Amino acid sequence: MAQLTARFRTENRRYAVEDVPFSVPAASETTDLSQLINKLLAAGNADHKYVEFDFLINGQFLRMPLVTHMEMENISTEEVVEIEYVEKYMAPQPEECIFHNDWISSIQAAEEWILTGCYDKTARIWSLEGKSIMTIAGHTEVVKDVAWVKQDSLSCLLLSASMDQTMLLWEWNVEKNKVKALHCCRGHAGSVDSIAVDCTRTKFCSGSWDKMLKIWSAVPTDEEDEMEEAANIPRKKQKTEQLGLTRTPLATLSGHTEAVSSVLWIDAEEICSASWDHTIKLWDAETGDLKSTLTGNKVFNSVSYSPLCRRLASGSTDRHIRLWDPRSKDGSLVLLSLTSHTGWVTSVKWSPTHEHQLISGSLDNIVKLWDTRSCKAPLYDLAAHEDKVFCVDWAEGGLLLSGGADSKLYCYRYPTTASDVGA
Amino acid sequence: MALLAHNEYEEDSSDEEDIRNTVGNIPMEWYQDFPHVGYDLEGKRIYKPIRNKDELDLFLEKMENPDYWRTVQDPKTGADLKLTDEQLELVQRLQKGQFGDVHFNPYEPSIDFFTHEVMIHPVTNRPADKRSFIPSLIEKEKVSKLVHAIKMGWIKPRKPKEETPTYYDLWAHEDPNSILGRHKMHVPAPKMKLPGHEESYNPPPEYLLSEEERLAWEQQEPEERRMSVVPQQHRSLRAVPAFPRFIHERFERCLDLYLCPRQRKMRVNVDPEELIPKLPKPRDLQPFPTTQALVYRGHTCLVRCISISPNGQWLASGSDDGSVRFWEVSTARCMHALSFGAVVKSLAWNPNPSICLVAIAVEQTVVLVNPCLGDKLLYGATDQLLASYVPPDEERVQPVQWVPATAEQHRKGIRLLLQHGKEVKQVTWHGKGDYLASVVSDNSNQQVLIHQSSKRWSQAPFRRSKGLVQCVLFHPIRPHFLVATQRYIRVYNLLKQELTKKLMSNCKWVSSMAIHPGGDNIICGSYDSKLAWFDMDLSTRPYRLLRHHKRALRSVAFHKRYPLFASASDDGTVIVCHGMVYNDLLQNPLLVPVKVLKGHELTQDLGVLDVLFHPTQPWVFSSGADGTIRLYT
Repeated sequence: MAQLTARFRTENRRYAVEDVPFSVPAASETTDLSQLINKLLAAGNADHKYVEFDFLINGQFLRMPLVTHMEMENISTEEVVEIEYVEKYMAPQPEECIFHNDWISSIQAAEEWILTGCYDKTARIWSLEGKSIMTIAGHTEVVKDVAWVKQDSLSCLLLSASMDQTMLLWEWNVEKNKVKALHCCRGHAGSVDSIAVDCTRTKFCSGSWDKMLKIWSAVPTDEEDEMEEAANIPRKKQKTEQLGLTRTPLATLSGHTEAVSSVLWIDAEEICSASWDHTIKLWDAETGDLKSTLTGNKVFNSVSYSPLCRRLASGSTDRHIRLWDPRSKDGSLVLLSLTSHTGWVTSVKWSPTHEHQLISGSLDNIVKLWDTRSCKAPLYDLAAHEDKVFCVDWAEGGLLLSGGADSKLYCYRYPTTASDVGA
Repeated sequence: MALLAHNEYEEDSSDEEDIRNTVGNIPMEWYQDFPHVGYDLEGKRIYKPIRNKDELDLFLEKMENPDYWRTVQDPKTGADLKLTDEQLELVQRLQKGQFGDVHFNPYEPSIDFFTHEVMIHPVTNRPADKRSFIPSLIEKEKVSKLVHAIKMGWIKPRKPKEETPTYYDLWAHEDPNSILGRHKMHVPAPKMKLPGHEESYNPPPEYLLSEEERLAWEQQEPEERRMSVVPQQHRSLRAVPAFPRFIHERFERCLDLYLCPRQRKMRVNVDPEELIPKLPKPRDLQPFPTTQALVYRGHTCLVRCISISPNGQWLASGSDDGSVRFWEVSTARCMHALSFGAVVKSLAWNPNPSICLVAIAVEQTVVLVNPCLGDKLLYGATDQLLASYVPPDEERVQPVQWVPATAEQHRKGIRLLLQHGKEVKQVTWHGKGDYLASVVSDNSNQQVLIHQSSKRWSQAPFRRSKGLVQCVLFHPIRPHFLVATQRYIRVYNLLKQELTKKLMSNCKWVSSMAIHPGGDNIICGSYDSKLAWFDMDLSTRPYRLLRHHKRALRSVAFHKRYPLFASASDDGTVIVCHGMVYNDLLQNPLLVPVKVLKGHELTQDLGVLDVLFHPTQPWVFSSGADGTIRLYT
């Protein structure tokens, strides 16, 4: 049997082994290598417990026999192979299933609560344990997106965007468990599909079907912005309909030729928007100028940015998740595409803590957990949903959330391993 | 003579030869004119003997002297010499050609020094040359030169033998493409017409010429005669006389053989593959819909018609379960449903993006519904537009009744009802969104009606019926109106009120048609599973007939932006084709089928009933008899 010489290396001090070349069978897989490492650790430390490891060669996860992997990656089998090993990510465990009355359009998790937008025209607040805390009704149409603005122990500010072309800024008094609409943000001429709050928590941006991006203030005030009245609607009638004080946008960014499906803040000055016109555009939030355009060839459903690895991930109306470099000038270079879904990718989200991991939800009812170091196959498939998945999110403390057309919000416990901290 | 006899040595020495004269060996003619012939040893002249003998003396001497015949004159001295017998014999032998020496035998027996027999001993005792056993350096040099040349490939050591096959193709001549076959070029001689009954010695009576026929035959020119001989009846073969035209006929046959142009008809060999036009690969014609992305479920019966809002956000569908549903395109969410309680035959979303109105054909009415989707201002404005109608002072006679909706209906979104007397088959909007046309199943001139929604005014544009109207369409650019009857598509100019064009579909029964956004190309689907593409600039007949479907076509559609068209059929498939239309008038449209989309299940022998493109994306919707609508992207 063919042998290879390999040198094992780890970031995790706890599981470090001697830095000498070992001869390993060429056909060994991760389980074999894992056993080898465990034997070495057990030899050095009597009270060592068995740990599953995952192995990386040149930053790529080993998912097949060692020799096949090296052939595919064109690594010479003559030299000593440097193999990095990390503790294996445990499979996410299903934890909660929260039932809604209607389809779930959006999720955003906070420290203790989960905010969901629902097709029954409400937004809901849930505790992490799955207890319904608050139902926020006020929109006249489907709630398409929700966002936390600020969380305090006393009161929270949150936003909901709806198909009725408005966004509502709510204040939620936690102690009294009362919710009050502070502002009604009007100005879009189409369904508002996406909102994003900036890192200073004073502004937010919205993207709508009317091809516009608008920037709004997220600070509650007592003043009402003047709004040009639509002459045909009697003022009295309008007053009674509206919740909260009217707010008008600070700025409008136009440039997309089709509906805007997703917006996000890259940092305090930069906004990124994905659209049905097959482009992702980067905007300067201060001046409202278009900075650059990334052009794809499919409609973009969702976009996510990770400050850890500074990459954009996009989900589009084909099966692929594509990673982009937002700073590239030519603007149409896909760094990597992750393919395993069989339907449109409706939602992607980078992990807030891990620079390589992201989750994606698709119309094929499956949520997938990806590691960019293994682009051929996802780390785990979470096939709990019975219908289309529309939204996914990461909650702090290692919780994955997903919601979709089966009106169920699934939570998965995703154990953070010790190596997560190091990574 | 005495000298010779006495002193033989005098003659032997060349020096002393005839020393009486000292002139030496010179031609004696030099002394011809002199009286002397030379000089003796003392230097005195030797005088020629006096020759004063005349002819008579010579003759006498010849007669008298018996030795005259053997007397010669010595040229050196001029003296007469009498030849001896030995000298005479020598002369005689030489004259006979014999050797001078009497004793020499020319015919001595020859003794072979070498024999043909191999002898065991060397002939000579000479030792063998050194070079006979040392290899030759020169040869070695020559050989090495050759070897080098062979190595370098300058010369070939030996030519490969041409192998003549032991067997040969016996039938090589038969194959016209083979070399042997080509050389043959045999053209058979034209065959003679075989004699018929009329040339028989005893033809049937109907072949025999009557008197008038015979006269007519005789009056005809020989070239014009139908037959060259007159049929004659004879009692028996023995009674047949000699054929008078025999030589004439043979001569004509010879003329035929050598004047008749005999040439081989060159048949062009064409590969059938080459006749197929070179079409681009579907891969290169992206984007087009390839996979099913979404299924819109909710209808309980077959979905007859679909229509999409001009911005592509909403989809409306009408079904046999009596309901119209409005869907969000991106999520397949049914936003709301309207129930009519009767089969929804056709529906059309107003193409004007600033008007939010859907026309729905249910039974005998066309219902204008405001779906209240999209921009609030827009659908509010649409309501206002409809409400701002002021009835004219005098009531006009109209083919339909315009009925405003009741409060209950208004709450559901219904705004206006156009009550026709008969079942309505189809509704369609003009591109500007004010006029709409409806088709009624009727056979009168009121089959097609054009309505103006803002003025609530209807009219029947045609005075006479031209057959059962299948569907109608407004031209996207020009003021033209297209009417498809069973077999023809008529294009009317609405301004001039005249028929501009009549297109023959070459189909048995037209089911649907669609017009290219450029306005010059029409596709029309038919129940006999054909799709005809008309180029109106080119001809009134189809530019191309596509027979890709196995069963009847139900619907055809063009994409507004991409060069795509689709056809839906009862066989449960939607076929998407690339249909590129060029601005250049010289270039014909390029039609390439790119994708067959399957997904709908056959229900009650019906497959896909309607097909529709998304207005901005390369996506296609199809509605089927299985109660679903599918989106392919």
